[in-house]
Amino acid sequence: MTPWLMAGLLFTPLAWAVLTLFPAFRLGRVLTRLGILAQFLVAAGLWMTVAQDGGFYYPLGGWKAPLGIELRVDGLAVTFVVLTAVVACACGWHAGDYLSPETGRHRYFWPLFWFLWAGLNGVWLGADLFNLYVGLELISLCSVGLVALAGNVGALRAAIRYLLAALLGSLAYLLGVALIYGQFGSLSLAGIQALVASAESFPGAGVGLFIMILGLALKTALFPLHGWLPPAHGIAKSPVSALLSALVVKASFYIAARLWLALGEELGSFVLAQAVGVAGALAVILGSWLAFCQSRLKQVVAYSSVAQIGYLFLLFPLTFGVPDSVVQLAQQGIALQVISHALAKAAMFLAAGNLILSVGSNRVEALAGVSRFLPFSLFSFALAGVSLMGLPPSGGFTAKWLLLQASLASGQWWWLAVLLLGGLLSAAYVFRIYRASFVESRGQDQFYHPPRVLEAIPMMLALMSLCLGFVSEPVLAVMSLPFEEGG
Amino acid sequence: MGRLTLVTAGMVFSGVFAGLAWAVWTIAEAPVPVSLPTLVSENLQAAGVEHPVTAVLLNFRSYDTLLEIAVLVIAGIAGISMSRTRSLEDPGLRTSDSLLYALERWFFPVMMLFAGYLLWAGSDRPGGAFQAGSVLAATAVLMRLGGVPMDFLRPGVMLRLGLTVGFSVFLVVALASALDGDVFLQYPEVITKPLIVLIETGLTLSIAMVLLALFVAAPIDPAEELEEGGAE
Repeated sequence: MTPWLMAGLLFTPLAWAVLTLFPAFRLGRVLTRLGILAQFLVAAGLWMTVAQDGGFYYPLGGWKAPLGIELRVDGLAVTFVVLTAVVACACGWHAGDYLSPETGRHRYFWPLFWFLWAGLNGVWLGADLFNLYVGLELISLCSVGLVALAGNVGALRAAIRYLLAALLGSLAYLLGVALIYGQFGSLSLAGIQALVASAESFPGAGVGLFIMILGLALKTALFPLHGWLPPAHGIAKSPVSALLSALVVKASFYIAARLWLALGEELGSFVLAQAVGVAGALAVILGSWLAFCQSRLKQVVAYSSVAQIGYLFLLFPLTFGVPDSVVQLAQQGIALQVISHALAKAAMFLAAGNLILSVGSNRVEALAGVSRFLPFSLFSFALAGVSLMGLPPSGGFTAKWLLLQASLASGQWWWLAVLLLGGLLSAAYVFRIYRASFVESRGQDQFYHPPRVLEAIPMMLALMSLCLGFVSEPVLAVMSLPFEEGG
Repeated sequence: MGRLTLVTAGMVFSGVFAGLAWAVWTIAEAPVPVSLPTLVSENLQAAGVEHPVTAVLLNFRSYDTLLEIAVLVIAGIAGISMSRTRSLEDPGLRTSDSLLYALERWFFPVMMLFAGYLLWAGSDRPGGAFQAGSVLAATAVLMRLGGVPMDFLRPGVMLRLGLTVGFSVFLVVALASALDGDVFLQYPEVITKPLIVLIETGLTLSIAMVLLALFVAAPIDPAEELEEGGAE
């Protein structure tokens, strides 16, 4: 069963990318929906297999690491594969009704969407430093192409800016890979981890790890390297923004986290860990503040992503030089934060797209009165906001609770302030949108009603992120499944 | 740019450079615990081709190559999604140099032949799909500048087929090997070499097509679309 699931997981997105390149938009939509169904089933099947039998290594081409490339199929990876399936399913379905079939270039959304999905799966399963680089490139180029699909000069400018930032980040990562390869002669992460633990010191490889994390931080838009994100995520079509914010930035973070957890203890340093944590903390506070100040709806959501990404980087200080139990807590907290933010942010961008479609403007003031016409989308937006603020019972609450415990247990109480202040500030920018939508305006109201399905999808995502708190126990159990090393 | 910015940038860059140089120095001195080149030469017998680079690209690490080709196809798609088709017939983009025409007539067959040679040579000496594809693309760029009609470049089925043929062949082989009971991309032992040559041929065409598509798709659509929601 497992070989079929793996083959299906790797093959479907790539094959559908080719298939959907040929037909026009409408047929591409039908094909994509069939493919989404197949991919969703395969992802769920793989999740259940791993939940039952535990993780395994999958040697591609029959060549084992370090000669060949192995995929690491463990609890965390399959959880993210399923998360990707859920979010991509929602965004793909939404895009089918949201994008206008009459615009010629929209047909290219489908192949780029599928290639993006393939790249994401590749990164979650990757266990080889160079293979991860190729996965990152796949994701970056798709994202740039998707941003440029918006078609106007501003979008092109944002896309080029995004491309340059992403390339710089990738090259920095590649430079680090070269240094690590020079030191150890291997690209397999598990192999390098075993070598690093052999009690010698590797200062050169430490520089490599530092450069890789720097490049990945740029690709994840960690403050102060976030300049490219708000224009790109703000100007792209809403389903694209949702994909980018929910999944794409998580891919580079995921690689940085895996590197740090495997090599950080030996190759990293306390100063580096704290510095990354401080950058994350600044991102939370300044990102939320900037989100509060934006005049355009999608820019608010985009800056909120900058802030929420900040929390993720608290992983670095909370897992350096602390007992294993704290590492476990911090890992679980961050993984839950990734999941709940992915669901909530996708819901928020899709709902924001509906609101913009309805009022015909992307300015926050233009939302006046929309609460009467589009209560459903507005409610989804607010529910997603609840998760971002970290109120119970949302996944955001559980994640922040775990992080709070981890900071106390590690004695790094200063991160508490960030967690509390971040929640308050995110409440501020969510309520600002809400306030604008309840203002009654004079004159004739002109609203367009988007189709029902467009309103239902963000609501489902928002509910999932809200209810994540209830099911976090089984999710966390699969994520931290014991993994037979060297299998 | 102010002098202060320049000085700061200079200092930052020299710092980074010094750090890197130091890292390379320490790494170069240390012994390497794993030797991949030895592993490659030990397994070369089973790889189906004699040249180690081709063996790594299309057998040992074929998954990387598959995804790299996907990256090229994506670049091609992103390029044609922004292109303006009329530019293909734009006479302003052609040269009218009779010397170039005369030379081209000599060049085309030789360049095509050279591309074919590079493709074939890849199995036992330096060469292969990437090099052959680049030469093929260069030939086509010259042809296009010389005004040879190339209707297949218009964004239609032919262009898309060309973009994806190599990738599709690769993917089908990968799936077939997985359905055969082995893992993804594990070639059956007896036909490893024919499969690799088949994949390389497809890849050559596709790589040439991607480069060419990016070359002809350069101008962007002047028709402005307003940002979502209309307002600036």
